[in-house]
Amino acid sequence: MAGKPGTTPTTYSPSPTTQKTRRPIFNENDVDWVRPDGRGFHQCRPAFFRTGAVNAASGSAYAEFGNTKVIVSVFGPRESKKAMMYSDIGRLNCSVSHTTFATPVRGQGSEHKDFSSMLHKSLEGAIILETFPKTTVDVFALVLESGGSDLPVVISCASLALADAGILMHDLVASVSLSCLGKNLVIDPILEEESYQDGGLLITCMPSRYEVTQLTVTGEWSTPKINEGMQLCLDACSKLAKIMRSCLKEATSTSQE
Amino acid sequence: MEEAAAAAEAVVVTPGEVLGKASQVRAGRGAYVAPHNNLVYASLTGFRRTLSPPPNSPDQRPTVEVTGHKAHGAVPEPGSVVIARVTRVTARVASADIMCVGPKSVREKFTGSIRTWAGGSIFGEEEVSLAIKKMNGDKAPGSYGFDIAFLPKMLRSGQSRGEVAIGLLCKRQQDVRATEIDKVDMHLSFRPGDIIRAVVLSLGDARAYYLSTAKNELGVVSAESTAGETMVPISWTEMQCPLTGQIEQRKVAKVGG
Repeated sequence: MAGKPGTTPTTYSPSPTTQKTRRPIFNENDVDWVRPDGRGFHQCRPAFFRTGAVNAASGSAYAEFGNTKVIVSVFGPRESKKAMMYSDIGRLNCSVSHTTFATPVRGQGSEHKDFSSMLHKSLEGAIILETFPKTTVDVFALVLESGGSDLPVVISCASLALADAGILMHDLVASVSLSCLGKNLVIDPILEEESYQDGGLLITCMPSRYEVTQLTVTGEWSTPKINEGMQLCLDACSKLAKIMRSCLKEATSTSQE
Repeated sequence: MEEAAAAAEAVVVTPGEVLGKASQVRAGRGAYVAPHNNLVYASLTGFRRTLSPPPNSPDQRPTVEVTGHKAHGAVPEPGSVVIARVTRVTARVASADIMCVGPKSVREKFTGSIRTWAGGSIFGEEEVSLAIKKMNGDKAPGSYGFDIAFLPKMLRSGQSRGEVAIGLLCKRQQDVRATEIDKVDMHLSFRPGDIIRAVVLSLGDARAYYLSTAKNELGVVSAESTAGETMVPISWTEMQCPLTGQIEQRKVAKVGG
């Protein structure tokens, strides 16, 4: 389309949006959300961990947070596939899948590719890969029942399984997620709360070193809310890490006897 | 051998727990130093042990280590002695499946290979020197161009000439022309199915670890004859089947003593 010299070419540009945002589910005048399981807004579900659940694997862990049940097996360090190129640090391979009965409506048990890559990102900062060159550590996570906040439970359980397998790590990895419902910040949301959320925040951190390995923010957030949310999550992560450590120590002392 | 005053405290530590300051303790097995704050953290789950430093070393910090309640499975490392089963033998390469690393067996096999052109991979330098010294020198000149008796004279005459002689026979690349390399026949050293003891030379390439049997105590430990019986070693290059009396050529490992 030859334009006359001196004129700017016409391009497509959308008109500025006005009032095109999603209708908020929670209006300002609405009654505050009451959590179906009776928890306070800043109260997490009771955490249950057990290591050594799978005999065939090098290391394994089972976690149960309310209705979210996850089992993770770790294999390795074992030989990388022949097709892989040589690497002088170790490799991490993660796979998260759901069982067919995990969701209320029966679904297909296929691998969740984006959960797998997020699990990979959260764990690779914590594992000391230089200690097992040329080999691969495989982490397989299976969500037995999806009751909300699946990925944080998978991440925490995976780090326990890695510790159980004896893989050298910088620190345990604890993960907590948080939802913003209207003006309330609700920690460790269940499935129903996640579907109503305006925004979601997932933090994975190494509590002893106070370092964050992964931060995922989705939806609408204002800066003060993000700050408050992050502080809440980091605090919850350090408390979760204490529970994880006591589980590992208990497993060690019972196996000694 | 200095006494390691190992104060075996029954304290269980988990990955990420602080074990001390880098200025006061040294990080041993299962521990690492974080560069940004100079603290020593644990990287494994296990029992914390403190070893006192050897009295003559300039560094008088005690070593703190975490002895695995559960360390990860054995992985071949350069310098470790492995037991492997030979899978494939060609003219220049023998492939083997590594089954044990040191005293521990591996969960899943690793692939290793023994190559002739790596310089003395099958027969080591001491073995060749011993063989040369026993030679009488009444044979026809080989393709080296001189009488074989020349070699013992070279050995006795001095260090550098002896090294050239060993280099010729051990096929070191800097001493030998390319056409000389294939003097050692793999089929006279190994057969598929033999159990060998070898040492890991290096991590190798993407497909296999590089192994070597270039010592007296390395080589074939157990082999089956074509008749199916376990053979008895009769010299360092021959094994005999007890059933048929047939003699087969192998590079035999000197076991015991």
